[in-house]
Order: sequence, then structure tokens, then C-alpha cells
Amino acid sequence: MPNQNGKLYGLTFLAPIIDDKKATPSHDLQIRAYLATLPTDQNSPFAKAPSTHLCRLVVMDDVVFVGHPAHEEHLKSKYLIFETNCDSDATDYLTGLAKTIPQQLDAIWSHCVGYPGAANLSEFLSYMKACQLKTTFFFAAVNDKSLPESLRALATQRAVVDFIADHQGMDPGRLQSEFKQFLAELKACPIPEPGAMAPLRNIKTGGRNE
Amino acid sequence: MSNINGKVYAMNCVTPMKPWKTPILRLIFFLLWHIKSKQQDLINLSFIEFARWVIVPKTQFPYLGNRQHKEQLQYDYLLFFSNFNGTWNQYIDAFSAVLSTGLNLIWRWSEKFPGAVPITPFKTYIAQVQFDTDYYYTAYPYATANDLKAAHIVQASLDQLSQRVDTDNPDQFAEHYLQFVLQVQAHLGVTGAAPLC
Amino acid sequence: MSKLNETDIQGFVLRGYNLPFARHLFLHFEDSARARKFIFELLDQITTGQRWDHGKPESTLNIAFTHRGLVALDLPTATLLSFPVEFQEGMKRRAEILGDTGASDPTKWDELWQKDGIHSWLGISAVSPEALDARSAQLQSLMSETNGATLLGSQDAASLFFDGKPCNKEHFGFTDGFGNPDYLGVDRDSQPGQGKLMPDGTWQRLATGELLLGYADEAGELPPAPVPHLLASNGTFMVYRKLHQNVATFRAYLDSQAANYGGGKEKLAAKFIGRWRDGTPLELSPDQPDQSIVMDPARSTNFTYANDPSGTRCPIGAHVRRVHPRDAFGFNGKLIDRRRITRRGLPYGKAALENEPITDSDERGVIFIALNASLVRQFEFIQQQWINYGNDAHQGNDKDILMGNHGGKGRFVVQGDTNLANPPLVCSHLPNFVELRGGDYFFLPSITALGMIGMDLVDPR
Repeated sequence: MPNQNGKLYGLTFLAPIIDDKKATPSHDLQIRAYLATLPTDQNSPFAKAPSTHLCRLVVMDDVVFVGHPAHEEHLKSKYLIFETNCDSDATDYLTGLAKTIPQQLDAIWSHCVGYPGAANLSEFLSYMKACQLKTTFFFAAVNDKSLPESLRALATQRAVVDFIADHQGMDPGRLQSEFKQFLAELKACPIPEPGAMAPLRNIKTGGRNE
Repeated sequence: MSNINGKVYAMNCVTPMKPWKTPILRLIFFLLWHIKSKQQDLINLSFIEFARWVIVPKTQFPYLGNRQHKEQLQYDYLLFFSNFNGTWNQYIDAFSAVLSTGLNLIWRWSEKFPGAVPITPFKTYIAQVQFDTDYYYTAYPYATANDLKAAHIVQASLDQLSQRVDTDNPDQFAEHYLQFVLQVQAHLGVTGAAPLC
Repeated sequence: MSKLNETDIQGFVLRGYNLPFARHLFLHFEDSARARKFIFELLDQITTGQRWDHGKPESTLNIAFTHRGLVALDLPTATLLSFPVEFQEGMKRRAEILGDTGASDPTKWDELWQKDGIHSWLGISAVSPEALDARSAQLQSLMSETNGATLLGSQDAASLFFDGKPCNKEHFGFTDGFGNPDYLGVDRDSQPGQGKLMPDGTWQRLATGELLLGYADEAGELPPAPVPHLLASNGTFMVYRKLHQNVATFRAYLDSQAANYGGGKEKLAAKFIGRWRDGTPLELSPDQPDQSIVMDPARSTNFTYANDPSGTRCPIGAHVRRVHPRDAFGFNGKLIDRRRITRRGLPYGKAALENEPITDSDERGVIFIALNASLVRQFEFIQQQWINYGNDAHQGNDKDILMGNHGGKGRFVVQGDTNLANPPLVCSHLPNFVELRGGDYFFLPSITALGMIGMDLVDPR
């Protein structure tokens, strides 16, 4: 199942970009300009939409001429590459995008040939499926944990180091009760924001040093 | 407009292949997929978060009509997308040092590939066939593949210990707590920003 | 491989001289012609790699240049631009990459290093302070005779003396100087553990090109080097860093952490570094120091980490494990073959006895000198990825306990086991034990190259 590795999906889309000599700037440049200003942190549209671990958008101008004796050839269109590593298959994933960030999808893909808009879900899905490439080989280092599970584990790890550091040499009774409290606080903590550089953590770990 | 987001680097490469070589590459990927031991080296080079290869045969560039010109190409193309931790140089150095056979097996079918060893012509080739990322998003910019694996180990151990906290007496708990610490002690590195390049 | 011409390579590159006293002179060139004449006059004084058949000389002399120094010598532009980018920039401009921020920020450096005037380093090593002074005086008079250089400043360094005898310890009390790599062609006894690890578990010498320019390196090629070949060959790059040591803080921190550590203070100190203070590797003797191992070249550097993946003997983040991971990253250690450096430094400042009252502001530290063929791939990589970061060691962002730029927030985990004398311990709030007070990158040319520079015969092609 090349698009999938364990529970993770590696989806690849190649959308031909409109070639209109009268557009100024050209459509590929307009996509680039838009992407240049799009936030890549917790304010990214992909942080708001579900299930994206990592993704990229790349305007592929052309193929590369590697030099004689290879032949020189060129693409007739430029293509917008969308490479995503996510928790759901194409249909569910694209549906998630269309429902949560239609505005941003339109802003990007409206420059592509035949894009129907995100408003009509079935047309949007058909369009993206027409642009989908079959991933030949997909590797994922951690392939059995969803995004929320990973974010939660990362926050847990940070909290656990602090807890261990602050509770060294503590008597068992106190250790146990503080650990109980720690678990409760950890549970009550919301899952960290996807895309943020440092996971915000309001949890205190108690112990002597805080 | 950067190839880098936090601790992860987005590399994009496109290389041309003579169409008669493509089925050979497909076979190699098929074998790589099904012979799990061959993937072990890739897993042990623990700085890749996600990577993929996509073969685009010359007739299969998406064609959506509507005044789009159909592609007329001689070559099939191999697209490569990697999400890795560390610097560009470190990444390529590592592959060239320990995975050159595997790299050669995948890229020898691409035109003018010089081989993964020695390092300088290899880096020159990659620089030539690499193109830049316009937008790169990661849900966990402060975490590498190693950090993620460590986090899952800690989470699993914590979940195990949680089951004890209500039933153990303090001394029993202290013992289980020590076991827990020993289980996670190699996985406690703090996460945060990447070193500056 | 080709035999090395030791008469063409500066001795400082090929061997540690084992002379207890050193003085580093930092020079500025006002006029390229006079500077070249000065260098030419100096030529036959430069100590080469030739063996000393008649015993050690009273003093030795070696020379190196910063990039701005090569500019001041008026080398051709094409040659100047062919030097690696990081060398052209100089260490100060690389501060953020190296993690030299906060307490190690260039604005905190000694005045000598804050200004951008250093063109050349003259390194004198000597058997005695008198020999040192004599040599310096002689050089100073040559400088004034030729009017070829001005002295901007100097730095003394010396082995620490205890009971009137020099030893290999540094100011934190650790025995230093283990593990300089073995290279093909370099005439020095090899020891298991110093070269590169082979799949069969033996150790072999590293490719010469990891130390010297103009030779094949571990990547299977003749690496790109500055042009012309004759200028670069048999030369190398030198990293010079004046590392101030906060000995008082270190002692206090060790004491405070040791109070919570079941293994005791000396063992905890060993856990920080990966060797007991007398030099015994933890991997070979986790429970107590053992001088017999230290004194035996077949054993003192002969270990791997394969049997200690959890770090219960030598912590995963311990200093020696970070800077020389051996097989810790798998792949039979092949990933680290191109990340080795040769160190030639010496402490500076007066040795402090264990119970002597001291303060951090006392002038004490180590002059850290490293030699490598590629600054960015070797020294800078270790500094950036293994000292001030921890991902390769699976330690997240944790920095090296000894040299990391902690800023009071660092953390170090001592992995342990159920043995009460070897418990796990998390050390937090690490302060900076070491602070950078200055330094730069230098090019250490061959004797031939020095002649070319002195005679103004450098042509890029």
C-alpha cells in the first residue's frame, strides 16, 4: 500500500498551474507570493485543519536538465506540488481540509487548471483525485501514532522530565501523592497546539524546586 | 519560503529516467517494501521523519484539459521528498557514508547520477536536481524523529505506571517509580528550537 | 598512500610537543611587503615535523594566519576566495552557529579578540619559562628589525604543576589529552580506540586527509581545497578558543549534586565526563578508577559503547561519549569517521588545589586548539551538533554538561540502575562551567606554502 505506512498516509498531489500569458504576475508567481506570507506556525491553515503531521507546497517550475548526454526537455506547464504526511486517507483528509480551510485552499489552488473551489465537496474531491500521484515508496519513522497522540506524548515527555528532576530523593508517600496530582494535571491539560515552536505548558510539577 | 521549519528540512529532488529503466526501479522499491530488513538501515539513520519517492511516468503528469498543454516528454521522472533532521550536509554525509549501496540502487537509473561515493560529485548532483520549497509546515517543529520516539516511550511507560498509583502502597509505588525512571532515563532530553545554521 | 614529507609539515600539526610551557603571540601586519619579508626571515626557525634525534629543543615555533591575515599579505583574490566560507568569515561571525552567545558572546570576549586585528598566530612551546622568554624576545626583535609585524597581544599557557611537576590535568581536575586520532602516514604510535572502528571491531588509522589538506579523506576522494594546490597541501586549519573555566561554580555544583547522588562525588564527576578524574574510562571500569588501564595504551582508549546502550556505565550525554561517539550511532561507527579533530591545547592560569579558596573571576581556563582539514565538517559540527545540542545522541536539546552554553537552564541525565551506588540522577539548572573569551580560525600552512607567501609567489592556478 504505497500511500500508507502503518497508520500514516503519504499523499502526493501534482496540480497543473494555469498558463495565462496575460496574467501579471503569472499564476505560479501569484501562488508563490501567497505562500510566502502564509504562516507556517500554529497559525498555519494546516494547524487548524486536522491530521497533518508535516506538509509542503512547492511550485515545480520545470524538470532539470542534468547535462549531456542526457537530453534537454521542458515541461509545458508548471505544477503545484502538495506533499502531505497525515493520519487519514485521501478522501477523509481532503474533506477535512475543505471543511476547515476552504478560503486558503481556494487562494492557492484557484491558480490551477480546472480547480472547482472547495465549496462543492464532491467536485473538490474529484479534482484533487485527478491530481493525485501514486506514492511509490513511503517511509515514516514513527508510523503508528496519530498527530494528537504525538503532540500529547511530546508534552508528556517535557512534563515528566521536570517531575523526575523535582522529585529526586523524595519520601515514597509524598512522591505517590504528588504523582497522582501530576497525572491529574497532565490529563486536564489540552493537547498542545500543532505548529507551535514550544508546547505551552501550564502544568506545575510541584516538588521542592518550583 | 524556506526549506527549513524548526528542526526539520524539506528536500525536493527531480531526476530524469529513461523509461525502460523505470520498471527496474519499481521492482527495487517493491522488494524494499516487502523485505523489511532492508528498511532497517533507514530506520537506524534516525534523522528522517518522513520520506517518499514518486515515479511520474512521462504520460502521467496530471492533464486536466481546459487549454492545458499535454506534456510530451522523453523521460520518466523520479520525484523525491524528504523530511529530515539536521543540516543538508550532515544528511548527505550520513547517507554517503553508510547507505551508499541503497542510494545507488535507487538513483543509478536516473540520468547522470554519479554514485553516492565519493561525496563531492554526489553533493554537486543533488544541488543540481534539488528545487526549493515554497511552504513548509510541521505540527512539531521543536521535535526530531528521535524526540518523537523518546516521547512515545515516555508516554507508554507513564501510562503503565499510572495503573499502579492507586493500588500500590507507598513503598511498592516507590519501587515501580524507580522502574519507570530506569525505563525512561535515556529518553529525557528537553525539546526546543533547532541549532542555527 | 604517499609517505608524508615531515620536513614540509609544521611539527605542531603532526605531534603534540609535550613541552610544558607555551606562549601564543598575536600579530598584525601593517604592510604586506614587510610582512612577507618577516615571514621569509622566520622560515628556517619554524619547527617542522621532523623527528628530534638529539632530544627536545629548548623551544619550538609555529605560525598560522587568519583569513584577514592572508588578505593583509596580499594573496591573489582568487586564492583568498577559494578558502572555505567559514574560514573567510572567521570564528566571531560564526558565533550563533557555534552557540557562542550569552556569556560566550563576542561582546564579552577579551579586548584582543573583540577587535578584528589579528592576522597571525605565532606559537612558541618551551621546556622552561626562561626558554619561552628568550624565544619571545628573539621574535620581538625580528619583528622590529623587519618592521614586518606588530604584537597585538599574547597568551601564556602551561601544563598544571602539582608538587613542582607538570601533569595532564585541567582545572576541573580531570586528566586530559586522551584520544587524539591516529592518521595514516603520521608517525605516532597508534592505540586501539583512537583511529576509526572497523566492522570486525579493530581500529585502523584515519585517512590522512581528515587532518591534512591535499590527501584523500574518509569520503573516498581528494577533497576540495584552496588553490593553488601547493599553497594548501600539507596545511591544515586550526581552531583557537580561549575557554575560561568557572572552577568555583563547577566545584560548588558538583558538591551540591553529589549530596543527592548515591555513588559519591568522584563517581558523579566521572559520570559528567565519561572518565574518572584520573583518566580511567567509565566503560572499562564503572565502579572505581584504575590506573593500570590508564597507563596501558592497549586499553586506555580501547572501548566501545555497544554493551552500554542505556548509558548505565557511561551516561549517554557524558562529554567523551558526545565528542567521540565511537559506535554509539550504530553502523560500526562509520558515521563519525569524518567528525574527528586533533587537539593541541594547554591550560592557562594557576592551578588551584582542591580546598583552595578560589573565585570564578580568577584567570583560569584552557586554550582549546583543534586541528582539522575542514572547519565546518569537523570542529563546527561537533560544537554545534554534539556540544550545544543533543539530537544525534538522542538527548533532544540537552547540551554537553561541561562545555555547553547552558545559561543556568541546562540539564544532564545520569542514567543508572537499581544498584544504590549507581542510581539515576537528573542534574538541572546547569550553569556555564565554561565561557568563551576569544578565538578565531587559522590556516597553518606547509613550509613550502610559507615560502611561497614569503616570496610573494602565490598564483591561484
